[in-house]
Amino acid sequence: MKILIIEDEEGLRESIEEYFTESGNICETASSYQSALAKVNLYRYDCILLDITLPDGNGIDILKSLKAHSHPDGVLIISAKNSLDDKLEGLNIGADDYLVKPFHLSELKARVSAIIRRKTYSGSNLLIFNEITIDLLAKDVKVDKTTVKFTRKEYALLLYFIANKGKVVSKNAIAEHLWGDGIDMANNFDFIYSHIKNIRKKLMEAGCKDYIQAAYGMGYKFTDQ
Amino acid sequence: MKLLTKYNRVNLITTIIVMLITGIIYYQAISWILISQKDRDLVVEENEIFDYVTLNHHLPQTFESNDQQITFTPATPGSIKREFINTEYFEKWDKGSHKKPCKGKGEYESGRGLISSVNADGKYYKILIIESKVETEDLIRIIFSITIGVILLLLLVLVVTNRLILNRLWQPFYNIMKELRLFNIADTKEIPHVDNNIDEFKELNNAVIDMAARAKNDYKDLKTFTENASHELLTPIAVINSKLDTLIQTENFNERQSKLLNDLYGAVSRLNRLNQSLLLLVKIENRLLHEKQQINLRELVEEMIIQFEEIFHDKELKLTYKLEDKEIYASRYLVEILLSNLISNAIRHNHAAGEIIINLTADSLIIQNTGNNEALPDEKIFTRFHKSSGSEGSGLGLTISRQICESFGFSLDYKFQPPFHTFTVRF
Repeated sequence: MKILIIEDEEGLRESIEEYFTESGNICETASSYQSALAKVNLYRYDCILLDITLPDGNGIDILKSLKAHSHPDGVLIISAKNSLDDKLEGLNIGADDYLVKPFHLSELKARVSAIIRRKTYSGSNLLIFNEITIDLLAKDVKVDKTTVKFTRKEYALLLYFIANKGKVVSKNAIAEHLWGDGIDMANNFDFIYSHIKNIRKKLMEAGCKDYIQAAYGMGYKFTDQ
Repeated sequence: MKLLTKYNRVNLITTIIVMLITGIIYYQAISWILISQKDRDLVVEENEIFDYVTLNHHLPQTFESNDQQITFTPATPGSIKREFINTEYFEKWDKGSHKKPCKGKGEYESGRGLISSVNADGKYYKILIIESKVETEDLIRIIFSITIGVILLLLLVLVVTNRLILNRLWQPFYNIMKELRLFNIADTKEIPHVDNNIDEFKELNNAVIDMAARAKNDYKDLKTFTENASHELLTPIAVINSKLDTLIQTENFNERQSKLLNDLYGAVSRLNRLNQSLLLLVKIENRLLHEKQQINLRELVEEMIIQFEEIFHDKELKLTYKLEDKEIYASRYLVEILLSNLISNAIRHNHAAGEIIINLTADSLIIQNTGNNEALPDEKIFTRFHKSSGSEGSGLGLTISRQICESFGFSLDYKFQPPFHTFTVRF
């Protein structure tokens, strides 16, 4: 996948770049409005991560320019402003998603994966990972043709893991993904553990390999290596 | 004491004192004038006697008229000093007089007399002329009582008009007071100009308007500062977060390192929540989140309960709920935060195997939970950064909840009804 990261904060830009490059994507970066606009007009990307507040311009204008040229790139807006107006404006103009700072890289990756999936597999709604096949429309999980029943949260967690395969996903990131950051439950990591236990059990009972590894008590890693 | 009462009291007392003094002076003056008139009459009478004696060389016959008595008594020559006296006048009653039935021979009235002397037939006589003062005194009495009557009437009119006029005069003042009482620093409503043509009140009104504007401005600056500060904090938090996410990808941590990383994650997510809460508070106060819509509260509460299902289950909390249909017109985003705050509080401050009761009726939402068996400090819990010891929350949850309620015109109250801590949202 080819991804453009438009973000003026160097630390954040580097982290995002590293995280996406490690999982086999090609990343380009832009730190200002002008350089971003130049890249957006020259090249096509599967997904563009767009920070709205740039030192020399407004990210929304880049989005407008993209849409004016009918470029098909997926756009995910990253903003420090958690305001519904901005969010609605961005989505109305044609952004695919809106993520508020600060976020976990795993959350960003999951969102980007979802956008790219929507863009590239048009018509097909199947997500395949080795012997696991997920029908995204029917929310149906099959292991070698055997349907496995998951609860809502387990299903969400499985998708999250697959989007971040090969990466250590922290418990905090999982908690925020499942309960949202509005829900202030500081110590709800026990529930994560029981969810993961259930997912692992259900997958293995259906004859799937054990892909979920605990990572030093900090989080979990979904990997086939 | 009201200004009007005070004013009336002072006014009344001074008026009465002044009236009393003028009354006395008035009385004295009238008496003096009338008595000197009497004295002149007496002198005229005396002169008549002198003329008579000079002409006839003997004393005139003593006669009595209705209001005058003249007596002559022989006296030692030179012993009489001429003087005016206040004395008594004996009025004899005529038979068949229209006055009271004749019992005695008459009655004593006050009179004015002149003692003088005359030489007649070589003898020395003392003359005593007495005139009745009754009519004079009657006159004084009438004049005086009319005066007193006028004074009393004046006082009464003064008090009544004061009350009426002053009440009306002070009306702008009370209007300004009313506006001040309604003044809310977080509100966008300005204090209006109160219409009046009294300079003092105009000045007061202007001063109040200025002050309110200044207070609002300062408050706005403060809020802007909070908002900007929180916004500026977001980027570094985002960087720390992403760096941590990157760090844990670099394999091979020992137990100690992963413990440290976990603590870091915990602290950053707490910092983030705190920051989000501050931003949210500012936004609610600025009324920036008012995309109101029709919400079925019953459905929303049910969704929340499903969200928290595992947590109820894990803490072995017994949840009972009775939900009636209730439509409210509010921002969905804020109502979700309100519900999630209240329910997660009820979970967090509960003990294992405790109980939670949620009741939704047409006019209130009641969330009750067991927990520490003692009441919380009633109003304090709604203040910013008030936390029970050992709480891991931000200390802003209830503040935000109350602000949300207030922004929709609801009220949020706490009561301890052993063993339940009860939070009530009244619509």
